[in-house]
Formats: sequence, C-alpha cells, structure tokens
Amino acid sequence: MPDDHSSPEPKLACIGLNYRTTPVEVRERIAFAEAHLPGALESVRELPGIGEGVVLSTCNRVEIYAAHDLDDPQAGHEALRRYLVDHFQLSPGEAEALVLYHLDHEEAARHLFRVVSGLDSMVLGETEIFGQVKQAYKTAHENGATRRSLNKLFQHAFRVGKRVRNETAIQRGSTSVGSVAVDLAEKVHDLRECRVMLVGAGEMSRTCAQSLMSRGASSVIVSNRSHERAVELAAEMGGQAIRFDEWESRLAEVDVLISSTSAPHFVIKTDAIEAVMKERRWRPLLVIDIAVPRDVEPTVNEVEGVYLYDIDALQAIADEGRRERERQLSLCEQIIEEHLEKFGFVPFSPRPQGDQLPA
Amino acid sequence: MEIDRLLLILATLAFAGGLVHAMVAIKAGTWKKSSWHLLPMVTGFILQTAFLYLRGQDVGRCPLTNLFEVLIFICWSIVLLYFLVGSTYRLSLLGVFTAPLVGSIQIIGLVLPIDRAPSSELASRPVNSILELHAAISLIAYAAFALACTTGVMYLLQERLLKKHRIGGLFYQLPPIQGLARAIQRLALLGFVLLSAGLGLSFGLDASASNPKLIFAWLVWGLYALICFFMWRHVLSPRQTAWLAVIGFALPFFSLWIVT
Repeated sequence: MPDDHSSPEPKLACIGLNYRTTPVEVRERIAFAEAHLPGALESVRELPGIGEGVVLSTCNRVEIYAAHDLDDPQAGHEALRRYLVDHFQLSPGEAEALVLYHLDHEEAARHLFRVVSGLDSMVLGETEIFGQVKQAYKTAHENGATRRSLNKLFQHAFRVGKRVRNETAIQRGSTSVGSVAVDLAEKVHDLRECRVMLVGAGEMSRTCAQSLMSRGASSVIVSNRSHERAVELAAEMGGQAIRFDEWESRLAEVDVLISSTSAPHFVIKTDAIEAVMKERRWRPLLVIDIAVPRDVEPTVNEVEGVYLYDIDALQAIADEGRRERERQLSLCEQIIEEHLEKFGFVPFSPRPQGDQLPA
Repeated sequence: MEIDRLLLILATLAFAGGLVHAMVAIKAGTWKKSSWHLLPMVTGFILQTAFLYLRGQDVGRCPLTNLFEVLIFICWSIVLLYFLVGSTYRLSLLGVFTAPLVGSIQIIGLVLPIDRAPSSELASRPVNSILELHAAISLIAYAAFALACTTGVMYLLQERLLKKHRIGGLFYQLPPIQGLARAIQRLALLGFVLLSAGLGLSFGLDASASNPKLIFAWLVWGLYALICFFMWRHVLSPRQTAWLAVIGFALPFFSLWIVT
C-alpha cells in the first residue's frame, strides 16, 4: 500500500484471541515464536488489500492489527483469520472451534488503547503489556510492516498508556498474596539486603519467596519437616536448606519469615520472637503466616519491631488493591475516549462497566 | 513592605504550594518519585537565601540578630540539609514532611512581632567571627535535629500503618522503616557532632558560664548525647528512638524562644 496522502485513509482492523476467549491449551498452539515474527509480518502484509500489520503475541493474547483498503471489513477479517488457520495448520475442527474477536477501525483503536493501558489484562493495570506491545510494534516497524496508519495508531497508543499510568492509580496496590508480601517486605527493609526464611515448603510460601527473590531479596533459607522437600525447594531457588529443628536458632539472621506448616497448633510463639528480637538489636522482622490453621501466635504482632500478617490480612490487602484498581477504571476509560477523539474518531458514549470483552 | 520580608512570604508560598500539590497527588494516588518535587523546595531555598543575604547586608553581620532571623536561618538550614539528606537516603517524601515544618516556622516568624531591629549596642559592636561561626553551626545542628524530628514522624506513621495493616496511599509513598530508623540515627548524630563543634567554639568566646543561651545549648547537647548513647548501645527500640527524636526537638525549639 503506497504511503499516498491523496488515497483514501486506510481502515484499521484487529483480530485476536485472549485469556478470556480461549483456554491456554489453544493459546499455546496459536502463539507466534519470536523468531517467526518477521516471516509472519511479511505474510500479513502480502494478504490482499492489507498493507500494514503488527503481530502481538504474549502468553495471554495473540492479536493482529492491520491497516487495509478493502471496502468490506469482513473480507479483511476473513483474510487474517484464514492466515492464522493456515499458519498454524489447524485442522478443520480446530479452525471451526477457534474463537476470535474481530474489531474494526474505532473499536480496534479503542481495544489497542485498552490493551496498552493494562485494562484488558488478566491482572488489571499490569504494566508488562506496555513493553510487550512496544516490542511487537518495534519488530513490525523494523521489518517494514508498518506505515503511516499503524505508526500513528501505535504512537498514540503509547501516549495513552503513559497518561493512564501517570494520571490514574490503576497500578496502585497489590492484587495477589505474593505481590502483597513483596510490598510489605519493601516497606520494612531494603529488599537487596533482605534475607528470607521459609518454615514449611507449601506452594503458597514458595510463590511468596519466589516473588521476593525475583524482586532482589538477597537469600533464602528453607526449613521443612521433610528435609528432602526443603533441599529440593532450596535448590530450585538457589537457597539453603536446614533441618526443621534448626529454624528457630537461625531466625536472628533473617528479615522475612514465611510460615506455612501443616501443624495443628502455633509453631511460632511470642516468647521465642521476643528473645530473637533482642538478639537482632531491634532490626525489624516481617512475619507472613500463610498457614491454616495459623502457625504464628497472633500476639507476635505486639512485639516491638515485628509485623505479622496472616493469610486473611494478606488476602484483604490484595482484595482492596483489586477494588482500588477497579475504581480507577472509569477514569482510564475517560482518558481513552479523549484520545480516540483526538485520534479522529467521534465522541463515543461510554459503554456499561464490565463490558470489557470485545465482541 | 520591605523586599526581604516579601521574599520570605514568597518562599513560604513555594513550600505551601509544594505541600498542597503533594497532598492532592497522594490522595489521588498519582504521587510518584520525581525530581520535579524538588522545584518548590529549590525555589523556596533560593528565596530564603536571598532574604538572608539582604538581611546580612542590612545588619552588616550574619543575620542572627533577633529571634525572627534565627528562625529563618534554622529554616534555611533545614532545607539545605534536606537536599543533602534527601538524595543520600532517598527519602523522597521527606520534602512533603519538611515543607509544612519550614512553612509553619516561617509563618510564625512573619506573624509574631519578633523581627525587631538590633539594639544600638549590638549594632555598634564589632563583628566577632568566632561568635558568628558558633551561632551558625549550632543553628545548623538544630536544623539537623528538626529533620530527625520530621523523619521520626515519618517512621512513627509508617510503623503504625504496618502494625495496623493499613496498606493504602501513604504507605506506598513512605520509605522502608529500617531506612527511616537509620536516617533518624544519622541526623541525630550529625546534629550532635555539629552542636559539639559549635559549643567547642564557645570556649574561645568571652562568654559567662551563666549565659542562658549557653546553658540551654548544653542542655540540648546533653539530651542528644543521651539519645546518641542509647542508639549506639541499642538500649531503645527504633520506635522509642523516633519518639525521642520527635519529642526531644521540643527542647531546642522552645529554648530558642526562651533565650533569644
């Protein structure tokens, strides 16, 4: 498609699938490998009537954005759909079962603005998608798959994403137990100096410890009744395994204690923590109790310099984080509508809340 | 209105403006670490410096001739230390807490009738550079105690939010409590060292041991010596130290009113 200003303005189209429309078994079948993207972009551009394309492929979505000069938008969608079916060599049954959303022009632009702002993400307001869209656009641009229409659309989308991030609190707060644990640890210690101890090697404590390690915690010690399991988990996280009867003597060394044993009684008592705090010379200790029944005596929170959070407290904070983000949705949508208008689309009447899934 | 007082009013407005902007942004959840937050503090500092320069020219000596000038000099020192401490310990929100302290002290100074012209006896007295250095260093030490007090307030707030599980807007903006605890210790120690130096200079002055200014200064020195000793020996918890830094600042603050 020539970049001719006198020719009619190309129309935008988007087809795709995401975590809402398609189960992971199908998504992983349809995902584009990074190495195959240049070839895919070239194929999209060569489709009849389609002159520009961007392929966005992440673990939660596969979308193709295109600019075309076809009179019938359905023909553009059909060409893109056929391309996906052929590229991934789907059987007739699989092709039949493939649920894709088809969006035209204004709806395609609105959808991209919502995606880039994190409003269409599994975790509302997450920021990783911004980088992923940027990378998808960069790849397309470097491979000559974008021209005026998609360049303009994507540049505008990045401006929207930045505005939403800077002018709303859509990213504020944590929405999962793991990220709440990280936020708490960050407000007690400098994470780079933070040493973590796991007492009990359950799945949830593993998730919390992994979140902390991925955000820079310096080391992890694992203690479990089954020493083999402790060794296994410590090896997985590059930490140290200790026997279950040793954890109390090592408590003075750590800054975050995550407990998740299956003991029917309190394992961590107030007297023990009080004794440890003297040894720690008042260095604060964050205690995260994710066991049910609880492992840590509630009065531990009264010890000077100790901050105790049980699973209910963590869950309540995560729930509040989600609600806070949801409260920001209308403000984000307002910014998006403003930008759609700036982009040249007529003002749109706000759609009802909760209707986030493209048709 | 004299130009120097006008400069000071503008400085106070700059601090107030920065505070209002920060409070609105924190409430809306859009407050982020940014060097733009320094702008009102830098503007206020430049205006304070201009005020002190003009006053110095006017009185022909370090502008510490009355309580008003002393208060403004302390405010100027607080902002100066804020720039140094803020970047060192990354206490990004310290400005939000420093601005109201500085703004309030300046308003008190501007409103109360304490800006009196120096007496003819003082005006005719030759400039004593050791005395001026002693006074200036001692007042910078008081500014360090003021910042320790501000940091103490931040510590107590963050500690309470953590204990009560109130994880909201302010919680995310405040620094980690361990960093705040260290900052209190360092600021109290810095103030103590500066005050020791300031009082050390007083031995070179022809000052009577019963001079109330010196007596109060030694009392303040004794209090912070005790705080520093407790910190060094880990006698007190960080929370108790924070309370001491907050309440302790009342002594240097009110001693200035009594003796100046």
